[in-house]
Amino acid sequence: MANAALRNVKVLPNSANMEEARHRVFEFFRTACRSLPSVMEIYNLYDVVSVSELRSSVASQIRNNIHVTDPKVIDMLLFKGMEELKNVVDHSKQRHHIIGQYVVGRQVQDSATKDPDTSTFLKNFYNTNYF
Amino acid sequence: MATNALAGTSLSMRSLLPQTQAFTSISGLRSASISSFGRKNVSFSLQPRSIRLKISCAAKPETVEKVCKIVKKQLAMPETDVVTGESKFATLGADSLDTVEIVMALEEAFGIAIEEDSAQSIATVQDAADLIEEIVQKSS
Repeated sequence: MANAALRNVKVLPNSANMEEARHRVFEFFRTACRSLPSVMEIYNLYDVVSVSELRSSVASQIRNNIHVTDPKVIDMLLFKGMEELKNVVDHSKQRHHIIGQYVVGRQVQDSATKDPDTSTFLKNFYNTNYF
Repeated sequence: MATNALAGTSLSMRSLLPQTQAFTSISGLRSASISSFGRKNVSFSLQPRSIRLKISCAAKPETVEKVCKIVKKQLAMPETDVVTGESKFATLGADSLDTVEIVMALEEAFGIAIEEDSAQSIATVQDAADLIEEIVQKSS
């Protein structure tokens, strides 16, 4: 069912304004949440994580880009997000990929960003690569 | 003579086996059909009663309470905070993404699908509970 729904998704034209882009973000989030039961079934994640925790993980990933105000950048991020969701639902990833990115990924990122021993040079270097 | 007797017994055993298999399969099919037929009867008889019993104009208190619990969990609020039917999501500290997440959590908890237009109109806990009751009545 999730596969069929995602198969019909086409690349939309660019958002005209910020409101339309915001609307599309919520639509993408809704689509992703509706796919989570299928993802749990495909990768057999019942003993590792729950649907609500995965939903929170997806929401936190969207929240990481809360500062973006350019509709074109938002459209690009949505395209990448939809591509990622399609890869997940079509089983183009393995179980440990899902666990590494969406179950324990936040902890690793949090510890990395809060490392006080890293020098300013390396911090700026990492930032430029990630953003 | 001995070899002929052994061949005869083996032939008789071979002939018996498929008959027993066919018999067991037939009995299996019969029991399956009987049980499924009984289940259908039970389901048919139960549905009208449930429809007749549900005569509610507003959302039930237990639905509102369940919605409040889910909202508390999603917003990571302490148990001491009071969430009532009149509480607005904005006053509880929820932004637009939090509101969508709460709606998705409610969908999962109640086993329903809330449409986008309906989800946009949700602003308070009471609105969410009323919408859920309406959708549940439509589906049942």
